Amino acid sequence: MRITARIYRFDPVCDTAPRYETFTVDVEHGARVLHFLHAVHERDPGLSYRYCCGTGQCGSCAVRMDGIPVLACMEEVRDGITIDPLNLPVKKDLVVDMQPALERLAGIISGGEDHLLDRDTVETIKPLRGCIECLACVSVCPAMEVARFAGPTAMRQEMRRALDPRDNSDRITEAIRDGLFTCTTCQNCWKVCPKKIEIPAKAIEKLRAIANRMGLSLPRHREVEQLIRDTGRSIPRGKSSFLEQVPEVIEPEGKVRKTVGFFVGCMYDFRLPDAALDAIEVLRRNGIRVIIPHEQVCCGSPLIRTGQLQYLDNLQRRNIQAFTSRGIDTVVTMCAGCGSTLKKDYCTPFTVKDITEILTELGIEEPACLPLRITYHDPCHALHGQGIQEPARILLNNVVDIIEIPQKCCGAGGGTRSGCPDISSALGKRRAEELVTTGADVIVSCCPFCEYQLGEFADRSVKNITTILHEGYREKDRLARVHNR
Amino acid sequence: MRADDRASCHVLVIGSGGAGARAAIEAEKFGDTILISKSIVGKGGCTPMAEGGYNAVLRTGDSCVLHEEDTFRGGAYLNDPDLVRILVHESPERFEELIRWGALFDVSHDNLPAQRSFGGQRFPRTCYAGDRSGHELMLTLLEHLRNSKVHILQEMVVVELLKERDRVIGAVGMNTRKGELTVIRADSTVLATGGGTRIYDISTNSATGTGDGYALGYRAGAELIDMEMVQFHPTGAVYPYDARGRLVTEAVRGEGGILLNARDERFMVRYDPERMELSTRDIVARAIATEIEEGRGTSRKGVYLDVTHLPSEQIEERLPVMLEQFLKFGVDIRKEPMEVAPTAHHIMGGLRITTEGRTTIPGLCACGEVSGGVHGANRLGGNALAETQVFGKRAGETAGRSPSRTGRIDPLQIETVENRMEEFYSGDIPPWTVSRRLQRAMWDDAGIFRTEEGLNRTLGTIEELLAGALCAATPQNIAECFTVRNMCLAASLVVRSALLRPESRGAHVRRDVKQSWDALTSPYSHTYISVYREGIMRREVPK
Repeated sequence: MRITARIYRFDPVCDTAPRYETFTVDVEHGARVLHFLHAVHERDPGLSYRYCCGTGQCGSCAVRMDGIPVLACMEEVRDGITIDPLNLPVKKDLVVDMQPALERLAGIISGGEDHLLDRDTVETIKPLRGCIECLACVSVCPAMEVARFAGPTAMRQEMRRALDPRDNSDRITEAIRDGLFTCTTCQNCWKVCPKKIEIPAKAIEKLRAIANRMGLSLPRHREVEQLIRDTGRSIPRGKSSFLEQVPEVIEPEGKVRKTVGFFVGCMYDFRLPDAALDAIEVLRRNGIRVIIPHEQVCCGSPLIRTGQLQYLDNLQRRNIQAFTSRGIDTVVTMCAGCGSTLKKDYCTPFTVKDITEILTELGIEEPACLPLRITYHDPCHALHGQGIQEPARILLNNVVDIIEIPQKCCGAGGGTRSGCPDISSALGKRRAEELVTTGADVIVSCCPFCEYQLGEFADRSVKNITTILHEGYREKDRLARVHNR
Repeated sequence: MRADDRASCHVLVIGSGGAGARAAIEAEKFGDTILISKSIVGKGGCTPMAEGGYNAVLRTGDSCVLHEEDTFRGGAYLNDPDLVRILVHESPERFEELIRWGALFDVSHDNLPAQRSFGGQRFPRTCYAGDRSGHELMLTLLEHLRNSKVHILQEMVVVELLKERDRVIGAVGMNTRKGELTVIRADSTVLATGGGTRIYDISTNSATGTGDGYALGYRAGAELIDMEMVQFHPTGAVYPYDARGRLVTEAVRGEGGILLNARDERFMVRYDPERMELSTRDIVARAIATEIEEGRGTSRKGVYLDVTHLPSEQIEERLPVMLEQFLKFGVDIRKEPMEVAPTAHHIMGGLRITTEGRTTIPGLCACGEVSGGVHGANRLGGNALAETQVFGKRAGETAGRSPSRTGRIDPLQIETVENRMEEFYSGDIPPWTVSRRLQRAMWDDAGIFRTEEGLNRTLGTIEELLAGALCAATPQNIAECFTVRNMCLAASLVVRSALLRPESRGAHVRRDVKQSWDALTSPYSHTYISVYREGIMRREVPK
């Protein structure tokens, strides 16, 4: 089997800048990236790469294949790929300096119980224990780029220690010092983890919950919690409110193809209500009957991400009740964060779908083409939280030109925007700059946190995907009117 | 003398797997300790790859006597009785110590350490952490090391042990990427470099399993025993080809997996009807090799290992690594059988040690797979991880307790190393062509089935390979050249020892020898080999 791939080359001792070299070599059927590298090494003995066990157990050989961290020994090689080192200081070619990150992973400090743990405790800690310290997570963590954050696997280790009764030292104060609250819960880390250790949910949010019980939640996070208790919303009411502008039932134009419940979320209700109104118009236009229970409240995501769980049951109960009491079997969200929360942190008797999912499933009336070049920002809570990537592109494809750009967190999530505004802004600025460099006229997304955050830092307009569709329909109607005249 | 990087310590530990890490932790109690890792500590060696478990007598119904007997019987009575006694008696203490240090081995519903059945054992005494037991053990040691004062030199190969007359006084290390030398003087040195079945074409070992310790010890004058005893693990993966030999843990059979040939016959009934799939590794490996050789294997030259009859939850909880690995390679072991064939796994032989971990030369201790005698002619699954801890601690303590000395480093020895490095720059044979020829020759003629003729043929190949001038294109290739030379030397020790043993015993099968005795009545004991002498020890035949 003949494989051609580009490999990153850089020797800091003698090269002024990194470069790529393309190699074509023969490997056996089913060969992994590592076997390709072995074959290249025979051609060019100067190529540096690290490997050891060859079976996905030691974590020596992580590299980026087309930008995504993988274990070279486990990932099947494909023709035409680009192989880069992890996003860590490069020692040479594909070899990076792992030491600084590894040294942060100290073990338990005995002092607590010293006997065999019971089965339940062991089973609780085990999901955090499979880490092979390959540093794929560290390579993709946005917070580490701008904050003093020890990183995902260091937090995993803190949680592993916090759960272990043999270690009675104070893990929480240390975790906070090491940047516990700077994590945006973007989920990048565990999506690339070869062992699929859910660090945000199983370590970060859990550590924050312990911090909360110890009274160590950030003051801004506590204010948000109080606001939710008082008002049912995580942000104060702005100039207008979406819920106050809409009736409870909105009938579609023409035949009813589907009836759904609509979950608006705090941000679209109070801060970006116009986008939500556009969404309703798009649903109506496509034969979808929308029921909007007005007693719906915050989904609780701001509480879960920040470890403040006491009031969560109340919110969950009220929201579930709001939809089940109306016999709704499908609830549509348009906020990626709410969608991810309802899907993963709720036990709902109804199905939850993101608006882009329901529209692509049912198929939509084609809007008119708009003379716009847009770039699409995938929200972390849609891409990683719900595994949604394609629907937005399917919907937008015939309406605008899309300029693709690799996904990255905008820094608005995980309570970072309220709790660590400097870090959140730094990430927001970086992401906005990246998106602007695509040359797009408009930045489009499907998450109010991303839209609001990017709108603050980008010097061009940021729109919700349904706003673009709605504009497409308006253009279509205008053209029809011109034609009929 | 170019090597201007110098270090001095009380104890130098070479090798960072389970044995080396344990030795360093122990030695550090007595003085400055340096640990050299050829890779990155925690990632190298075979410990983090060990899947099955750790044997320890922990429950009523089991006993040390039973564990000893199983070990002797499994080892074809070639084991050193004193070493076995210590292994069996101290393994539980070391296990409990690991637990105190933070290990998370699986716990059964009665809140005792979970234990599973392994081949050749009459009691389920193999403690485990799913099928990532070695990783769990290594993580525990690593966490402990990170909390300790042990000084670690990462990504360094040791190219030679330093001697002052007959005493080892440290080592010369080389940075694997830059090719720069570091001279380390030590009051005492512990060799814990692990095994070396990378000398075979098909092997379970990590990239570091190149037999360096056997070569270093031999060149320094230490005696090695039973080097012909190479364990072929019965079940290695056969696909993808480039990852052939990858370990499929014995825990798969321990959990109830069965072996089937291409005709769907559960063939173990013909080889060991009593113990079936949970017979000892030597017997199962030969059975599989025979099935394949006689045409009853699959098209990829394997047999089937099947767990599809087990509940999915059992596979997911107890064999997560296997499940994940095979899924990556396109096989869902919950629904379809694995294809497996024997793979070179473990070298039972190694440096001759005392119960204290002393080798035959002063100043040098050894522990773990690089040492010989514990496992005899065949190792029981689960005894290797236990060995790393029991003898790692002992060797570390012995080295730690040894007195401080003022050793003088002989500049001539450094110069010899430097000259060899220079030679590599002017050589013309790429190291990987040598390792590939070596691995094929070893697999073909020094593998599961052996004859004098085949062994001599392999020896000829090795000598030819050793005589060639290896070439290094860049400084990082220098380490590869040294490693390949070590592989050739380690291979020659295996082959020469195999020629010294005129019998079939345990893992060593001489097809050209007819014998009238079995393991119990064999007139032979250890083979031994050093730069000074070689031969086979005779023993009184038990009546």
